[in-house]
Amino acid sequence: MKSSLNITKESKMAKETFIFELKEAFNIIADEIKREYNAHIWLIEVLGKRYSYIAGCKDDSFLPPEFIYISEKFAVASSDWGKLPIEKKEELFSFLNKYVNKT
Amino acid sequence: MLAVLSKKERDWVKSVIKEEEIERYMQNGRDFIDDDEIWEKLRKNVKPDKKRIEDIIQKSMEIQTLEPDETACLLNIEDPEIWQQLFKVAKDIKKKVYDNRIVTFAPLYCGDLCVNNCLYCGFRRENVVIKRKRLTLEEIRRETEVLAGEIGHKRLIVVYGEHPSTDAAYIADTIRTIYDVKVKTKNGYGQIRRANVNIAPMSIDDLTLLRDVGIGTYQVFQETYHHETYKKLHPEGTLKAHYQWRLYCHHRALEAGVDDVALGALFGLYDWKFEVMGLLYHARDLERQFGIGPHTISFPRLEPAANTPFIQQTKYKVSDEDFKKIIAVIRLSVPYTGMILTAREPAYIRREVIPIGITQTDASTKIGIGAYSDRYTDQEEDRQQFILGDTRSLDEVIRELAQMGYITSFCTAGYRCGRTGDRIMTLLRTGREAVFCKLNAVLTFKEWLDDFASIETKKVGEEMLKREMEEIKNKLPQNVYEKLLEYYERIENGERDLYF
Repeated sequence: MKSSLNITKESKMAKETFIFELKEAFNIIADEIKREYNAHIWLIEVLGKRYSYIAGCKDDSFLPPEFIYISEKFAVASSDWGKLPIEKKEELFSFLNKYVNKT
Repeated sequence: MLAVLSKKERDWVKSVIKEEEIERYMQNGRDFIDDDEIWEKLRKNVKPDKKRIEDIIQKSMEIQTLEPDETACLLNIEDPEIWQQLFKVAKDIKKKVYDNRIVTFAPLYCGDLCVNNCLYCGFRRENVVIKRKRLTLEEIRRETEVLAGEIGHKRLIVVYGEHPSTDAAYIADTIRTIYDVKVKTKNGYGQIRRANVNIAPMSIDDLTLLRDVGIGTYQVFQETYHHETYKKLHPEGTLKAHYQWRLYCHHRALEAGVDDVALGALFGLYDWKFEVMGLLYHARDLERQFGIGPHTISFPRLEPAANTPFIQQTKYKVSDEDFKKIIAVIRLSVPYTGMILTAREPAYIRREVIPIGITQTDASTKIGIGAYSDRYTDQEEDRQQFILGDTRSLDEVIRELAQMGYITSFCTAGYRCGRTGDRIMTLLRTGREAVFCKLNAVLTFKEWLDDFASIETKKVGEEMLKREMEEIKNKLPQNVYEKLLEYYERIENGERDLYF
């Protein structure tokens, strides 16, 4: 039987691996979207009032960002949603939903 | 509180430090402050020539962190004319990174119980003249109602002693309480939008708990970077005596995912040039290991405290002239960082040094436990950690800042839309954050003027807003200006918390 300490350590490691992989995947997508549509998107983790940057574009246009939530804990922010074709946006969120909900 | 620790306190003290959460960041078993190396650099870089100083200034203007040798050069400048030039450069750098805004906040002291016994601190365990108290959540709610609903603050630095009764679980509860407060104001509502914390070094697990309740910046001052002095001032056997547990707490915070951390040194404990070097080494080590430097740096000077003779006896007191130099050199050495000047300093000093590169300051400050809702007006030594130099109201300070050409900002937008960590670092280094600073300063200043300003301050503030809007119209893209106008009007109609 595993001790609770081991379970905590394992879940912590699993979370770290998940965030690492999510970052890698999101950075590739954000780069591609910036290249193709000149739209800046970035991924944030919701921590109460704090929305912490996780991955994606580090610069953006100066307009207020709008958030699209993938789950209670994660959202994608952008001031450029209008620049993205609907099908690209659907593709992005279909991938992220599967990815986040799978884990 | 008794001078001798209870069994519960002793057991708690033993449980706090986790050596493995120090050693993992060290190199070859050593921390990043090499006292001899710092002194060697200060000795080696005396009498810097003009060309070298110009090269360093150029590097700072490009928002690059300086090398220790470069900072040592600046600290060794003797020519008063070159110092004047440095003050001017510091001002320009601040404008480039943050524009002309000054962010305001207030401290909220939640408790003065402490297991430590630091020689310079009014709250030290053995100081029996201090009345000890820990605020209940209900008392914290009342304090927050005054701060957010009557004074108009949006940002706090919440302060706690190091004690089992103010541990991470209590801190998390207090932060939740503060964020829950929402008070009706004249034309809208008041709320604390960012609660930064000034707390003791903690383990990664405790910091994760605080991250999850949404703290703003994690602020811990090293007090002094000089190992031997640190040892003398923090008696053996106390929790705070562990230099490296403190030195690496920001590393642990970043590892826990709190991606805004704040440094500081208490000036007056040791040689000021050494401490500035220590701050630089600290910033550089964070950048090296995490790619994220300090969100802010503070440089408080020792102030009198009840029954604390050390403060009168120290031979390292910093003069006003040297204080200006400290601020300028930090501004040039870590050009992207926020710099905090507090109400420890009297009004005349604040007026003089704000233009040298300050980005944040406090006002309407009270540091007695429960002091805002108690509404006491005089400073009381036995309930304060130290004595304040400036007790002016936020209204007075804002009016003065406006007359000096600074717009007061209550902006808390960055950490609520993912401008944190290495993203904010990029925006600061490229000067792009200054645009957000300006836009959000206008909106939050407008909110405050509508809800809290005196007639006199409102008049001065609205004139300033007109000038700011005109500048934005001329400098920024049309669609950004139009969005600003839309938000401005919505705020005028009572909406709150609109931001870029």
